[in-house]
Amino acid sequence: MRPAVGPASAGRAPVAALQAALAAEHAAIYGYGVAGAQLTAAARAAALRDWTLHQNARDTLTAMIASLGATPVAASAAYELPFAVHDARSARALAADMEDGVTRAYLALVALPDTSLRTFGALAMQPPAERAAYWRGTTTAFPGFPRGAFAHE
Amino acid sequence: MLAASATTLPLLLALDACVGPDPLSGPPPLSRDVRVLFAAIAAEGNLVHAYKRTLAAYSTLAPALTPLLAEHEAHLAQLRARVAEPPGGSPAVTASLASPGGSGGSGGSGAAGRAIPAIPGTRAAAVALLRDAEQAASAAQLRRLATVSGPLAQLFASIAASETTHVTVLDDRRLA
Repeated sequence: MRPAVGPASAGRAPVAALQAALAAEHAAIYGYGVAGAQLTAAARAAALRDWTLHQNARDTLTAMIASLGATPVAASAAYELPFAVHDARSARALAADMEDGVTRAYLALVALPDTSLRTFGALAMQPPAERAAYWRGTTTAFPGFPRGAFAHE
Repeated sequence: MLAASATTLPLLLALDACVGPDPLSGPPPLSRDVRVLFAAIAAEGNLVHAYKRTLAAYSTLAPALTPLLAEHEAHLAQLRARVAEPPGGSPAVTASLASPGGSGGSGGSGAAGRAIPAIPGTRAAAVALLRDAEQAASAAQLRRLATVSGPLAQLFASIAASETTHVTVLDDRRLA
């Protein structure tokens, strides 16, 4: 799922959007470590699966950014959590929240004029949108957009 | 009468260049975004229609299907909010619902203009049909990305992702 990026993709906007997606993947990898500790066996296995998928996505983005001549953003040592995670319920909420963040980051790529990056972003946002629905237990009409972004929602 | 001079000539040339709409030439051509939007509206309208028909035939599916239908109605509302449709709905919707099997729609909708299949005789088959329709609709949204503006591409991508999550819901064997 990695497009060939070359001169047509060069420029600040594509690199910035890819870096933002990479930063979101880093945060998700960290967050699943936190959430996994609070989850019970079956859910923990799902979290481990998702953690691995985020690592794969991180590696893909890292390679894409490097191929554009930029230095991929590094993971932080720690991340501020959006809320306290102290039980399975809040752990699932954290997982959904992180997946929303990753979905949002990939949606930003879709606004770029480069069609290969558009398609990459549109495809890459689907797995996190599905995982967000899994952890939340419900689907949403407009994955990647803030809730309430549209009047009819 | 205004005589052309060194100072008035540029003004006259500028006025000559201001070509307004010709009332005899018919409506102006639709922009690419609008043509693609009509196709997307037609496809989304067909999905809403399919869900309503399925719910009418299998009311026990309501707990699972009603939230998905609501999301499709939200998609349709957002797509319609971006274009002024002619009275009676978009041409593509009218053509596809009135003429099953016709070739209505433009912009590569993939769904508009297809024959509307009969509701399957079993609940499982009805769910499978919706699942296939969701998958096709999501793929069609992705095909629309390349030629539209960035904000519209984001809306299509988001709807495609939403439809992918619906496929997962409809894959649940408990619905069969």
